[in-house]
Amino acid sequence: MVERLDEAWIARGLRRAPFHRFLLWLAPWAAMLVLGAWAIFLCLRDGLFHTNMDNRYVFGLWIFLDLTVIALGAGAFFTGFLLYVMRKTELRAVINSAVVLGLVCYSGAVLILAVDVGQPLRAWFTFYHPNVHSMLAEVTFCITCYLTVLLIEYVPVLLRNRKLKAKPSMLVLEWNLHKVMVVFALIGTLLSFFHQGSLGGLFGVLRGRPFAFREGLLIWPSTFFLFVLSAMAAGPSFVALTTWLAEKAARRRLVRDEVYQTLGRVSGWLLLAYVFLKSLDTLLWINRTAPERGFPAHRFYEYGGAFGTWVLFAEIALLGLVPAALLLKPEWRARRGVMIAAAAMACLGVTLNRFIFTIQTLALPTMPFDRLLLYWPSWQEFAAFGFVVAYGVLLYSFSYRYLTLFPQERELAMAEARR
Amino acid sequence: MFPWVYGFEWSPGYLIFLGVFYTVALVVAGAMVFAVWRSFRTVQRGAAGEVMWHAAFEDLTPAERACRHAVMGELPGRVCDNGFDCRGCRMHLRLLYAGGPDGAYGVPEAVEICGLRLPLDRYYHRGHTWVRHEEDGSLVVGLDELGRRLAGEPGAVEMPPAGMALRVNEPAFRVRRNGVEARILSPVDGTVLGPAEGEGLIRVRPAEGFSTVHLLRGGEVKAWMQHELERLQLALSAACGAASLADGGAVPEDLGRRLGGREYDTACGLAFLDV
Repeated sequence: MVERLDEAWIARGLRRAPFHRFLLWLAPWAAMLVLGAWAIFLCLRDGLFHTNMDNRYVFGLWIFLDLTVIALGAGAFFTGFLLYVMRKTELRAVINSAVVLGLVCYSGAVLILAVDVGQPLRAWFTFYHPNVHSMLAEVTFCITCYLTVLLIEYVPVLLRNRKLKAKPSMLVLEWNLHKVMVVFALIGTLLSFFHQGSLGGLFGVLRGRPFAFREGLLIWPSTFFLFVLSAMAAGPSFVALTTWLAEKAARRRLVRDEVYQTLGRVSGWLLLAYVFLKSLDTLLWINRTAPERGFPAHRFYEYGGAFGTWVLFAEIALLGLVPAALLLKPEWRARRGVMIAAAAMACLGVTLNRFIFTIQTLALPTMPFDRLLLYWPSWQEFAAFGFVVAYGVLLYSFSYRYLTLFPQERELAMAEARR
Repeated sequence: MFPWVYGFEWSPGYLIFLGVFYTVALVVAGAMVFAVWRSFRTVQRGAAGEVMWHAAFEDLTPAERACRHAVMGELPGRVCDNGFDCRGCRMHLRLLYAGGPDGAYGVPEAVEICGLRLPLDRYYHRGHTWVRHEEDGSLVVGLDELGRRLAGEPGAVEMPPAGMALRVNEPAFRVRRNGVEARILSPVDGTVLGPAEGEGLIRVRPAEGFSTVHLLRGGEVKAWMQHELERLQLALSAACGAASLADGGAVPEDLGRRLGGREYDTACGLAFLDV
């Protein structure tokens, strides 16, 4: 009976795992979700003493992972931009998946921010009494608006569900929403550009922390532009990586090779541009910005361990230049294993960059009497973030099962059957 | 946020920041309202069926959207971008006047493929319905042999009521069987007169300017049905594994009984272009 109901919601002509296997897949994620919900409840009820953050470590695991998922979630806006504005029509094959990924990343980030800021009943204060001189105000407004745009972009994907589209009014709404999707793609690009930039900018303006402080253009420090560029570079890689993971989980091809090629090529060029600008920025910071603040740059790396010079090398060369080269050479990009490894390295690179700016910036001493401060998150911090990961996996799994995330799936399955 | 709210300043920073925010909010809200309003208007003027067909057509794979001339081998690889409505297709009209598809309509013969008998005294629609002119000027619409074998017993097909206006490629019938529901598209523009006798399902009074240009005929029918059987078999294999449409080279009389629930659902949806 339940199986029949389940099947009635699955699009015709698509093969999905049996319902009981789907439930087995969901079970561990649901458990993780429950544990995370408990941790979130504790933090909201009692406050942040459940975490290991303090007045020195105001940004911990949550902000680091927030910045990371927002950077990776850029795959949504950038894929939309490439498809609707740059007319890369082959990306229609992954746009629905990119929208779901973006929605997961942004809604998860907003949720964790709400827990981190606390007092959710007073969240409206941020909007009603904005401090427009704060980069965080811009981030808050842009993320909220973009989340709204992502929810709107998710509606047509949802309305294409087999049961929902059987109702003419639903399908007509979906059809008309598609007609104005270019507007949402452009708005999403604008919002993403500014909040990715502002997230970088808020580190670049930290005058009291010479490790993060950067010079820039007018009111924007260089980190503003580098965060935008790195997110644009990692976004397509993340879409390619998740598509590949979905293919592995589903055990079938979901998109044509040309989709991977386009995503890889775009990601490669942007990554190369990012590595070039990041290198220039780092050289400028080492030779001018940091010394002018009274800190020779080598002082920041004296502590070794997790914060040694290897981090700088790994961020720029190993996880920047190497994946860019792998993604740009057509022969290497054509090999799926190499392409996916390069995409994963690009995603790791942006993750390391966000780690450096949030965790390393706060760990390094800024006063003569300060010492290196280490921080390890509490279980509540891990569990709360686990909630977001579990929620993301669940939403994506449900979307994959009951919606058409990959429009080429049926065609590729038929081509496979023909063989 | 507003001039009367504590903290607001008439400074360039506030005006630029809030100006951009309100512009974005207005554009997003405006686009949403526009989409909802257009949807409301579309439903109100009865054009929902047309949109539904375009959406369904978009969901077909390029191979399923093969142009009738590609199926015939005249234009290999050509994909239809007119929603199977050749009335507005220049290429089709050009080929038609150049003596393209065999216009052997009216010849009381039939072709047979995999046990499916397809009389050539009628026009065929790609959603597995047919149309035949009657002497009194009306039309008879029915399911072709594959459609009939999928639908099974006549009671499984829900007929449109007399007086209902039909439009090409918009829902006309509905099949309900084995817990599966699929809509069947109308092959013609016209008004339902009532149930038909014999092999047809309904009688239709054709609309003004009635045309059969978009319907398959004569020599096209066999090639098309061959293409359809291959397409359905492939789709069934892709979606349900080893399910087979034809048994010993012939399509069984009652496909609904032969195919399992999921296979039947897939076959119905794909045959009636309701994916």
